[in-house]
Amino acid sequence: MNNENIIEIRELKKSFENGTIKALDGINLEIKRGEYVSIIGPSGSGKSTLLNMIGALDRANEGEIKVAGYDLSKMRDLNRFRSQEIGFIFQLHNLIPNITVLENVEIPMYEINYSSKEMRKRAMELLEYVELLDKMKRKPTALSGGERQRVAIARALANNPSIILADEPTGSLDSRTGQMILQRLKSLHEKENVTLIMVTHDMNVASMAERTIEVLDGKIVQN
Amino acid sequence: MSFLSLVVKNPFRNKTRTALAVMGIAIGIATIVALGIITDGLKSSTEETLKAGGSDFMVVESNVSDMMFSSIDEERLSDLKNTSGIQDVVGVLLAVYPINNNPYFAVMGINADKLSVGEISLIEGRGFSENKDEIIIGKAASQKTGKKVEDTLEISGKKFKITGIYETGDLQQDGGVFMSLDELQELEKKDDKLTMIFAKIDKDADLEDVTDRIDNTYTNELMTVKSLEDLGKVESGLKTINTASWAISLLAIIIGGIGVVNTMIMSVYERTREIGVLKAVGWTNRRILAMILGESLVLTLVAAVVGIAMGLVAVQLLIPLGLEGFIEPVYKMETFLKAIGIALFVGLIGGFYPAYRASRLAPTEALRYE
Repeated sequence: MNNENIIEIRELKKSFENGTIKALDGINLEIKRGEYVSIIGPSGSGKSTLLNMIGALDRANEGEIKVAGYDLSKMRDLNRFRSQEIGFIFQLHNLIPNITVLENVEIPMYEINYSSKEMRKRAMELLEYVELLDKMKRKPTALSGGERQRVAIARALANNPSIILADEPTGSLDSRTGQMILQRLKSLHEKENVTLIMVTHDMNVASMAERTIEVLDGKIVQN
Repeated sequence: MSFLSLVVKNPFRNKTRTALAVMGIAIGIATIVALGIITDGLKSSTEETLKAGGSDFMVVESNVSDMMFSSIDEERLSDLKNTSGIQDVVGVLLAVYPINNNPYFAVMGINADKLSVGEISLIEGRGFSENKDEIIIGKAASQKTGKKVEDTLEISGKKFKITGIYETGDLQQDGGVFMSLDELQELEKKDDKLTMIFAKIDKDADLEDVTDRIDNTYTNELMTVKSLEDLGKVESGLKTINTASWAISLLAIIIGGIGVVNTMIMSVYERTREIGVLKAVGWTNRRILAMILGESLVLTLVAAVVGIAMGLVAVQLLIPLGLEGFIEPVYKMETFLKAIGIALFVGLIGGFYPAYRASRLAPTEALRYE
C-alpha cells in the first residue's frame, strides 16, 4: 500500500425511481492504492450501489468519482475502463455454462488485443494460480461452488486489474469454502498489491479487511 | 478460443430451440431452392422448344395470355415464307391430350415433308404419311407408354399407327407425338389454324431486322419470340412460376425473419445476466452486438445448408409426380447462392433487433436479472 489515492469520491449521489429512492446520498470516500476495504451495511443501505459506481457499472446523478486516475463522471466509454482497471467477483459466480473453465477465464481478454495463443497462456497461468489447471477443460457445471468461485477469481484477474471489486463473494458458499475463498483473496491482495474492495453484510468477513466502511441509508456512517 | 468460435458455439446451447428455428427457416429455403431448380428446368426446356429444329425464332399470335391459346391462320405460313430474309418456315399445331396417366401429353401437327426441316431425326422406323392415321412417337414418350413401332396409340378416341420413333433432344417434343397437320386440325376442329410458326433466317439476314419487320407488319396479329424474355410475354406459366418463386422467397424472408427474431430474443432474455457479466468485464456494446448478430447468422447459415439439402431431396421427390419427361431439373449455382443470400439477409434483419437490445442493456439491471 502507498499513499496515493486510487479512489476519490466527492458528494456522490445516486437515486432511483425518479429520485424517490436515494441509494447514495452524498458519499465522500478516499481509498489508497493497495488497500483492502470492506463495505458493510444492511440490505438496501447502498453498499452495492457504491460498489457499482466504483466499478463504472452505473453512473451517478451528482458528485465526483475518480478511480485509478479516471474521472468516471466525465467519461463517455466506461467499457474500456472496466476492462483494464476492474476485476469483478459476484456472489453468484456468473460463469458461462456451455464453455469450458479455461474459456470462461479468457472472456475478459477479448477486449485486450491478445492473440488466441496469448489468451490461452494467460488463462492457464491464472488457473494454475487458483489451483484449477487440471480442471480447465471441464464445464463450470461440473465444478463445486468453491471451485466455480475460484474460476471467477481467475477471470477477475485476467486483465491485470488495479482494483478487485467483490460483491458478497462468499454469500452462496458454505462457511468452510467461504473462508478458503477469503484467504485466497487476502493472499492475492498481499502478494500482488491489488486494491481489494469487498461488499458484505457478514461482520466476520468484513473483519478480515484492513479497513471497514459502514454504509447506512446511502451515507457513510463509519469509516 | 477465438471470438468466432464463441459465436459459432453459442446458438447450440439450447439444441431443441435452435433445431426448431433452423427447421423453420430451412423449410422456406428448401422451397426457394426446389422452385428455383424447377423454374430453371422449365425455362431450359422452354428454351429448347423455342429453338426447336434449329429455328432462329418463333411466331405466335399476339396478345394471348398463354402460348397454348395462340391461333394463327395457316395462310400466314406462305406470307412469312415470302418475307425477305426468311429461309424457311414450319407451321405447327399443338394440342394436349390425357394419355396413359399423363394429363399433358403433347400432340404436334406438322406437314410430313417438313419433318426434315424441323430436324426431327428418326431413330427407328419411318416418318408418317399424310392422312393415313399415322404418327411418330418421341423416344421418351415411347419409353413411358411402352409403345413401339407398329403399335397403335389412341388419341381423342381415334387410333393411330406408330410408324417411327424420333429424338430431338427437346424434352417436350420427345415426350409427345407428331402427326399430320391436317389430321390434327381435324381432330382439334381447327381447320387452317396453327399454334406457332418456327422460322429460320438466311445466313446474311439480320435477326433483329427480320423480326422487327414481321412485328410491324402484323401488329396486333402476330408476334415474334426469339428469346425467353420475349416468351415471358406470352407464356403465362413461366410468368406465374417466376412470380410464385418471388412471392415464396418474400414469405420465407418474413416467416424466417420472425422465427429468427423470436429465437434470438428468447436467447437474449435467457442470457440477460450473462450479458451483464460480459459488460462488467469490459465488453463493448459493439462486441455484444456482433456476438448476437453473429449467432443469428450462424443459425441462418445452418438453416441454409439444411434447406438446400431439403430442396434437393424435394426436387427428386417431386419430379416423378407428373413432371418427369416434362421438366429436367437444372441445378444452377445462382439458385444456391440466392438461397444462402436470403438466409443471411434473414439472419441480419432478424438478429439486429435482439442484438441491439442486448447491447443496450444496462449492466446493473442485467446483473440483477433472475
